[in-house]
Amino acid sequence: MDYVPHDDTEVSKMLAAIGVNSIDELYQDIPKNLLIDRLNLDAGLSEPDLLKEITELSQKNTVYSSSFLGAGSYYHYIPSLVDFVISRSQFYSAYTPYQAEASQGFLQAIFEYQSAISRLTELDVTNASMYDGASALAEAATLTTFHTRKNKVILIEGIHPEYIDTVKTYCWGRSIEVEIIPLDQLEHKITPDIAGVCFQSPNFFGEIENAEEIVNLVKNVNSKTLVVQCMTDPTCLGVLTPPGKTGVDVFVAEGQSFGLPTSFGGPSLGIFAVRKKYMRKMPGRLIGLTKEINGEREGFVLTLQAREQHIRREKALSNICSNQSLCMLATLVYLVSMGKTGLKEIANQNFQKTHYLKQKIAQIPGYKVLGEKSTYNEFVVKCPNFAKLASSCKKHGILPPLELTKYFPERENEALICVTEQNTKAQLDEFLTLAKEAAL
Amino acid sequence: MTRITPELIFEKGYDGMKNNFVPKMDVEEVDLNAILPPEFQREDIDLPNIPEFTIVRHFVNLSEKNHSLDRSIYPLGSCTMKYNPRINEVTARLPGFAQIHPLQEENDGAMELIYNLGEQLREICGMDAFTMNPAAGAHGELTGILIFKKYFESKGLKKDKIIVPDSAHGTNPASSVMAGYSIIELKSNEFGEIPLDQLEFAMQGGDVAGLMLTNPNTVGIFDRNITKITEIVHKYGGLCYYDGANLNPIMGVSRPGEMGFDIIHLNLHKTFATPHGGGGPGAGPVGVKEELIPYLPCPQIVKGTQGLACIEQSDTSLGRVRSFWGNFGVLVKAYTYIKALGAEGIKRAANMSVVNANYLRSQLQDIYDIPYNANGRFNMHEFVMDCHLPNGVNAEDVAKSLLDRDLYAPTIYFPLVLHEPMMVEPTETESQRDLDKLITALREIYELAKINPEQLKFAPHKTPVGRLDNTYAARKPVLKK
Repeated sequence: MDYVPHDDTEVSKMLAAIGVNSIDELYQDIPKNLLIDRLNLDAGLSEPDLLKEITELSQKNTVYSSSFLGAGSYYHYIPSLVDFVISRSQFYSAYTPYQAEASQGFLQAIFEYQSAISRLTELDVTNASMYDGASALAEAATLTTFHTRKNKVILIEGIHPEYIDTVKTYCWGRSIEVEIIPLDQLEHKITPDIAGVCFQSPNFFGEIENAEEIVNLVKNVNSKTLVVQCMTDPTCLGVLTPPGKTGVDVFVAEGQSFGLPTSFGGPSLGIFAVRKKYMRKMPGRLIGLTKEINGEREGFVLTLQAREQHIRREKALSNICSNQSLCMLATLVYLVSMGKTGLKEIANQNFQKTHYLKQKIAQIPGYKVLGEKSTYNEFVVKCPNFAKLASSCKKHGILPPLELTKYFPERENEALICVTEQNTKAQLDEFLTLAKEAAL
Repeated sequence: MTRITPELIFEKGYDGMKNNFVPKMDVEEVDLNAILPPEFQREDIDLPNIPEFTIVRHFVNLSEKNHSLDRSIYPLGSCTMKYNPRINEVTARLPGFAQIHPLQEENDGAMELIYNLGEQLREICGMDAFTMNPAAGAHGELTGILIFKKYFESKGLKKDKIIVPDSAHGTNPASSVMAGYSIIELKSNEFGEIPLDQLEFAMQGGDVAGLMLTNPNTVGIFDRNITKITEIVHKYGGLCYYDGANLNPIMGVSRPGEMGFDIIHLNLHKTFATPHGGGGPGAGPVGVKEELIPYLPCPQIVKGTQGLACIEQSDTSLGRVRSFWGNFGVLVKAYTYIKALGAEGIKRAANMSVVNANYLRSQLQDIYDIPYNANGRFNMHEFVMDCHLPNGVNAEDVAKSLLDRDLYAPTIYFPLVLHEPMMVEPTETESQRDLDKLITALREIYELAKINPEQLKFAPHKTPVGRLDNTYAARKPVLKK
């Protein structure tokens, strides 16, 4: 099954029109010793056989009926219309809107996405999206060095460990110095030669940091140093003070929570929003409003492309070209489907249901909730026997929380528990029962 | 005349309504102020509540203002806009793929899929190992060039330059700079090929890490000297990077690994038929030869004695390039595609992409200026025309006039080795009948240029908006409302 429409007669006609006798003649530029006979791959499959085989492969993964796992990827409800919209051919089979006049649908959607994120974050400029939260943070760290012409960034502990690793990789590429410090040392470590300070809130452990305090600490030492906030689950913005209000310069987030399935970690999108003064230093595609050359109708085009690789080549600020368009579209549809009321209610439910579980689990002998700060939909609990809890969860079709040893080998029996609006009270209570049993 | 403004989604809301996408709150609610200090809470959100049906209509109407491959040919050069089989959408949405968490332990099917896709790509490309982490072609390039960097660092060699031909995609130099390299640009010949003497001269400097090359190149020509090129680079201790943007015409025919390339990135959304989605999500797997395996990013899935295993970290690896595993959903689609085609199908797809491109060229070269047609060479998957039409009609005018004929336009103004380039890549999934529509349109436009150039210069006329003012957009940017 090769999806090639031609039959042999058509191929012969076309070869004759080209003026050759065989397809091989068209490959005359390839040296003979580089030609291969046949790939060592299986023969192609019919669609029913293919579906059967791949379905069987998918069934080797366990699908759980409820989950307490987050840590960067979240189970939120996705309205049915999201997948319907992104499955429309006009969106899914189009490409980068180079020909604006025939791409107004997607261009307007991106413009609306930029607007929706700017409204949600109260920041001036949002790009058309990055690959994911981690690479968005890495590009944000880079941006701080472009803007300040300084070469060192500080990362505050509590950023998702995989994001930290990604920032380190990107910074190593450009020889940017990276220092990772706990929040309580920021006051001592911050010096005027720092390009940017990056923090996550709610942090990896679910705790909400005081963004305004961080901004003030940094800006008091050097008002030009940029403060970057990242988030792994931006649904909290339904309730939390937006970064535009706390003085943050750059906001990045993993967008998966806004309408995309977990899908083993991808594809999703990186949200990237900045204050206006950084607009010309930001990576990624931007869509702007314009008008016809010879008319009065308004329309949308790719704009400020002089920052980008296809124009600037080695002088570009980033190599990113395509964004995560279809994921971005899903996010836009999600945000407008929820509306302000839905976004507030979702965030509130995440707070409330998490609080419920947090209170109840703290009452079980042997369990201790760690940390004093307010938390959103994740929190850390010291367990008497994590392995027992995890295995009994799995037996009951429940995806267990993350044991922190995954990223912090010394933190045994510490569970990062995630609760979303998708967890019913019955599920929370069942988990509590299992936790009680696992303590015995 | 008054300005006609598009109606945005934000104008379609009602304050007093809400949709039903929030589950029941079934735990006892506490005062939010008790669990979250009021100073951490926002006031309002400036997003409307919009009825579900209004949203559906809005996006259906938007979609109708968008040309797409499923409507008619989308011949963007170097973008490989081939049909996206619908089965791929079904498999990527199977619960066992779409609903699984990246950190769950019961993931044998996902690990197997990632590993097996790597095995398929190894066979197709002649490489020794692949990483599936990179999210896009450009991300793959960055990963590949960071592998260069790690390799030379571990050897204690200082190499800080990379050679890129002038016809290369803009991402090549941009990616190299992100890894700390500066660029030596080589001027390619009329066929977009690398001049061997200049290559050797550049390599002799001793500070060159290697060469980035697309083969077939961006004018659609397979570089006959490919083996000599990679030999020269290797002779001076450099590495050869294969930009897989143009792999489509040679998959199953010839292998980059055997041409002497050390690193390759692929664009699964081009060659392996995953949808372009208006510009992503894609996936940009990177393949390497044996010697470079230690430097691949983490996590890596490897085959051990006990089955598949995951390397989360290693001292030699360049580190992480993103979170989790990669654009897994896209990998599922590409895997499904390769399984559907099999060995024969892959070769036939490659073959027919070449037949289609050369057929198109053959039907246009008597009137359009296709620079290399006199030399008896054939193109691979694409070709470039220099669009100097009568009466000053240029490539942009031709492109916009195609839109009026319900066809999408080829890539224009790239590669800038010509003045008015138009880069045409039909792909194998267009039938002769569909190609003939494009040929008829391009010939008609040429004739029209002689008698009514004004109509072309003011095109498009039938699209939802007329030709838009790019300069106006950039002068005082409006990026949100």
